[in-house]
Amino acid sequence: MPVFRWGHHWGEAFHDLEREVDRLLNSVNMTFQGLRFGRQFPPINLYELPEEYLLTSELPGVKIEDLELTIAAGVLTIRCSRTEDGSNDESRYRRQERPRGTWQRSLTIPDRILEEELRADLTNGILRIHLPKAPQEKPRQIPVMGN
Amino acid sequence: MSNELSRPEPAPPAPVPPPPVERMVFTPPIDIFETDGGLILRADLPGVSLETLELQVQNNRLILFGRVPPAVPEEARLLHQEYREGDFLRSFILSENVDHDRITATLTNGVLEIFLPHAPQAQPRRIQVSGP
Repeated sequence: MPVFRWGHHWGEAFHDLEREVDRLLNSVNMTFQGLRFGRQFPPINLYELPEEYLLTSELPGVKIEDLELTIAAGVLTIRCSRTEDGSNDESRYRRQERPRGTWQRSLTIPDRILEEELRADLTNGILRIHLPKAPQEKPRQIPVMGN
Repeated sequence: MSNELSRPEPAPPAPVPPPPVERMVFTPPIDIFETDGGLILRADLPGVSLETLELQVQNNRLILFGRVPPAVPEEARLLHQEYREGDFLRSFILSENVDHDRITATLTNGVLEIFLPHAPQAQPRRIQVSGP
């Protein structure tokens, strides 16, 4: 039974990945809580609304100037970095749990998206990207030459 | 074929209150480091704003609770999920030498930073010794 699914629109790019991850997830008993620190950073959720897709991600402490969103050839890339300000030397840390570093994630998006109208906002550490759906294209008649 | 005996309609079931909505509660990751003036604690609380953050000190215990409002409209259909929305809760025991009255905190871009200043060293007090 399928466990891991990006959603049928995205299936094209991820068929093999889906099959492999399904095999993995079906063979392992995972509790979701335990994944919180072991998962990818930044984590991404994808939602669908009638007029658009909505992508959300948790990026606390990432400043807008350290966040780069690009879209090219139908691929959305999120690049961000978070370094510790205050530049403390490591020996003064009593506890260090927050992830730090540079991350990049890329997602293939369906071509039924209006790329010029992507909008994104970063508020309280939550990134939201609006991906408006392209209107259905009208079928185009193809003239046929006879002999 | 006999007619069905008419039976009184069973009373409609009493309205059941909707089950309480489950909210996930997460333990936010924190960094703690020392500075000359005291300790600095930083916590990742994405989605929490000043209006939804609660910070309390009581009996040497620091409690932080951040409520996270939904990031997407209710009718949004979830296609792919790597994290769940939830609130944040974590508590800490403060050491003896933290000056409770001078604790300050800021919240920026979903990161809470709390400054826990060291209490100033008590001045030694001379004790007069009276003679016999």
